[in-house]
Amino acid sequence: MPDPQRQVHNRLAVLRAERGLSRRQLAEKLGINYQTIGYIERGDYNPSLELALTIAELFRLPVEAIFSLKPMTPLSEEIFREPPAQTR
Amino acid sequence: MNTTITGRVEYLPRSRRRLLVAVALAGYPVAVAVLAGLKHTSLNPWLILALFLLVLLPAGVALAVGYRYARGRIDGRAARLDERDLALRQQAYALSHRVLAAILIAAAAITYIYLSSGNTLSFDANTVLPVTMWVIVYVPALPSLMLAWIETDQPADA
Repeated sequence: MPDPQRQVHNRLAVLRAERGLSRRQLAEKLGINYQTIGYIERGDYNPSLELALTIAELFRLPVEAIFSLKPMTPLSEEIFREPPAQTR
Repeated sequence: MNTTITGRVEYLPRSRRRLLVAVALAGYPVAVAVLAGLKHTSLNPWLILALFLLVLLPAGVALAVGYRYARGRIDGRAARLDERDLALRQQAYALSHRVLAAILIAAAAITYIYLSSGNTLSFDANTVLPVTMWVIVYVPALPSLMLAWIETDQPADA
């Protein structure tokens, strides 16, 4: 059974900054209160599946690129990470 | 002015909010106890009343701040409650139910111990009024106070 208190890590702050959106602007697009964005970014509130999917849809990213149960690595590290050596 | 006060209350840190909740909850019983203790002394009645109000005033202010902090999220007056607000409201109601149950159990236990020690309790207006006032003021305010107690600090604007 999943632990309801377990923190869900996210990249929301990075993605929001990347797109030049304030918390209020993002909240307006999502139809939620702007404080909720701050609470999600800080890891104090785990969004519902519906909200997580809506956020993913808004950023046009797969949900696992925004939310993860493991701490997020920097995006640059993921983009430029050496692919594992192919074995034949 | 009104917006400024609301804004300040909204950003009150949790430690300060919890202190206010404690003052709001303890203030009234303490004021009633002070009144009951001093009523039969030779002190000037006006002085007793002044002392009673002096103890009661911080509780009243703390209650008002706690109610203001909830910003209509408990009674549904807020224009829009999102999923976090609804989850928080549920938690606040659950906690206020537990607190109320604890208070009722404690009150029943104290009354039983008091009566079983050979004392008597007369149910007149003087006994019933403070309890009635407590129920009228605190039962509706308890969920707002509990919301102020549990909500973590607001994230800074960005």
